[in-house]
Amino acid sequence: MIHGFVIALLCLLNVGIALLLSPLYEGILRKMKAALHSRIGPPVTQPYWDLLKLLGKEDLRSVGGAAYASLPPLALGSVLLLATMTPMGGAAPLSFAGDMIVLLYVAAMGAVLIMLCGFASGSPYAYVGSSREMMMALSVEPTLAIALCVGAFKAKSLALYSMTAFQASNGPSISMAIAGLAFFLALQAQAGKLPFDIAEADQEIMGGPLVEQSGPRLALLRWTMWTRQLVLAFLLVEVFLPWPHFGALAFDLPASGIKVLAVLLLVGLVDVVNPRLRIDQAMGYFARLALSGLSALAFAVIGK
Amino acid sequence: MNTERGQVLAAVHEMVAARSAGASVSATWPHPDTLHFLIDKKLLRSVADGLFNQLQARFLISVGTDNRTLGGDFGILHVFSLDREKLYILLESRAPADDPRVDSITGVVPGADWAEREFQDAVGVHPEGHPDPRRLLLPDDWPEGVYPLRRDFPYNFRPPLAEKGRPEMRATPVGASVLPMGPFFPVLEEPAYFRLLVEGETIVGCDTRLFYNHRGIEKLGDSVLTYNEIPFLAERICGICGFIHSACYCQAVEKAADIEVPRRARYIRTIMLELERIHSHLLWLGIAGHIIGFDTVLMQTWRIREPVMWLCEAISGNRKTYGMNTIGGLRRDLPNDMRPQLLKTLADVEKEAIAVRDAIIGDGVLRARTETVGVLTMESVRSVCVVGPPARASGVAIDARIDHPYAAYDEIPPRIVTQEGCDIWARVVVRVGELMESIRLVREALSALPEGPICAEIRDEIPPGKAAVSVVEAPRGEAIHYVMTGGDNRPYRWRVRAPSYANLQALPAAVAHGTIADVPITLGSLDPCFSCTERLETIDRRTNAVRIYRRSELMEMSRGKGVRGGAR
Repeated sequence: MIHGFVIALLCLLNVGIALLLSPLYEGILRKMKAALHSRIGPPVTQPYWDLLKLLGKEDLRSVGGAAYASLPPLALGSVLLLATMTPMGGAAPLSFAGDMIVLLYVAAMGAVLIMLCGFASGSPYAYVGSSREMMMALSVEPTLAIALCVGAFKAKSLALYSMTAFQASNGPSISMAIAGLAFFLALQAQAGKLPFDIAEADQEIMGGPLVEQSGPRLALLRWTMWTRQLVLAFLLVEVFLPWPHFGALAFDLPASGIKVLAVLLLVGLVDVVNPRLRIDQAMGYFARLALSGLSALAFAVIGK
Repeated sequence: MNTERGQVLAAVHEMVAARSAGASVSATWPHPDTLHFLIDKKLLRSVADGLFNQLQARFLISVGTDNRTLGGDFGILHVFSLDREKLYILLESRAPADDPRVDSITGVVPGADWAEREFQDAVGVHPEGHPDPRRLLLPDDWPEGVYPLRRDFPYNFRPPLAEKGRPEMRATPVGASVLPMGPFFPVLEEPAYFRLLVEGETIVGCDTRLFYNHRGIEKLGDSVLTYNEIPFLAERICGICGFIHSACYCQAVEKAADIEVPRRARYIRTIMLELERIHSHLLWLGIAGHIIGFDTVLMQTWRIREPVMWLCEAISGNRKTYGMNTIGGLRRDLPNDMRPQLLKTLADVEKEAIAVRDAIIGDGVLRARTETVGVLTMESVRSVCVVGPPARASGVAIDARIDHPYAAYDEIPPRIVTQEGCDIWARVVVRVGELMESIRLVREALSALPEGPICAEIRDEIPPGKAAVSVVEAPRGEAIHYVMTGGDNRPYRWRVRAPSYANLQALPAAVAHGTIADVPITLGSLDPCFSCTERLETIDRRTNAVRIYRRSELMEMSRGKGVRGGAR
């Protein structure tokens, strides 16, 4: 009973971090982008105001139907579920043997739900955007899976907490470095940052799946994307860069938070110095990335 | 006249004689660089075919004129250019007022497509045998049989409102779906409708409906404004290359009226034209970057561009609409004490432009997005009569500054930058090269800037009934102004062709077989300027009386445009 209560509290902690911190990190990213553009940029709190403003706006819908209306909250929910399965400074609140496999599925859910939003909105731009989203998801997921499999192979376990523990106690290795890099590039795509913001591509298809979204629904979808980039960055940091590991949440959580910021700033930097790839180019890129991820597996097999 | 030119001229006369089969052809030389043929309208297609396909002349533009108030018919004039011989060849035909038809030349000169549709819409002369005689520039709800450029059409006429105007578009083939780009779209600064036919991500067809921005500039020019007021309006044809249009118009009038422009004025015009090219190419680089999501390029190039705008403001009092040109020269001198400031800004811009150039040239992802994309072969460049950087990027070395030298370009000729890639990357490289070349040209012109008057003294009235063609190499390509002088201190006919008018016609060929993702950057690589292209139709809603646009009103008009944000 008490155990259940603690888990519920920890879940709330992760969900709270994910929801409340993600706009702040997005704000910091925008500030950095502005600096590299020689601009002043909006204040770091701007994403909070954006959400607040959008949430207060009229909900204009291009089509009716329960599916269309319920998809944005579902998308945010799926990312929050992902947050409870992701270690943040300590073992994930919802951790169990084999949670890595379930996590991969949950991680894919967000993209699928946004894709469905696009398909349900009846706009040709959203339709093109959603099919791009699907192609991106299909090419990026294998890389994510292979990278995590390397960790699993090293730790001889499909549980995320044992992967973290193994990496923390055994120190860096070639296989984990390659896998971590591959995960980072997959994160770039999952976060919808350049050169992989192909599904939204404002200048080509006006935001793709988001083109018909407005007001509160747009707020939820934006929040979903910011939260997803934060949670996946946490996953990267916890599985591939768990050092220094203090073993106490009070120290490990802030340390992870700082490392996540560093990872996201790197994501933002790549975003600033690249133009957008075409979908076929991005798919080819991730096919090659998945192949090099396999080399990490090979290194793991020979114990490097 | 050298022998080579003589041979070509002989070939032209021989071809015209052969194709007219004994019919009477009058050949005159209105200017030393202009050969004018008045031929029967039934011969138009055959002679145009000979000029374009046999003698490899380049088609520039068609001009339809309502000569009925002069006691004549409708005049249709096709302007060709023999670039190497620095010659304009004008083919003129008359269409009787009771039977306003001529033979279409689009079948043999594909680049004449829009030009012929334009005189069909504006003057009401039907090009018979045109493959695509749909409405081009009049609004979709415009009444049939009302032709705005006819002399009996009042410039402030208002047609009755119609509710159901829809563009006439081609049918969608089976299996393709429509992805509309426009009339309002993020990468379009101004309204334009590109109807993309797609299968998945692949483009299988493209249909366009443009000319949503008509402002009736030509009509105002030949009915309301006077010779020296027109440069102010011409400057507002484009939001970027204003000086180009006012200079081109003034040159046309100066040529028609045989006015010698002082050398200092020609040098200062050169300096201003090249400054415009510098800021326009920097602007284009930024927009191209933005289109493919590379906003860092946008922000940095526009930051570099800004001092050039300040420089223009220091010279003329305005960032963009300089108000410097007038018939016979300039209204405003370039003070000699500004030279250090000019040179310093140029040095700064050059340093930063080189940094940007090196960053762009070394960017692999940028190359991946632009190489072998938006390809325009040399043949399609020639047949659609593409001009400017897109033509030079396909290995066609045309440049009005060399082909028909004006201002001071005969004394300080530019080096033409060409590429053979035919793709968007080649257009990037060409424009970056031209940017550097323009900086050099401004420096040269500054160091050779002669002293003297800046405007010719014009004592006599400008004689009526004289016509001249003038070209200026704008950043986007060749701008063409044709002026036929009139008797009431204003042109009888003023025809403007902006370079985007030619280049936009190449868009369907450039996007064919590409993907949706390639369309915005392909369009961007042609650097289209819609307000330039669309300058014909406007209605004054305020009064029925003849209205002279005064300086304060023109300023108000230009500010209105600024507020709307359509600065291209």
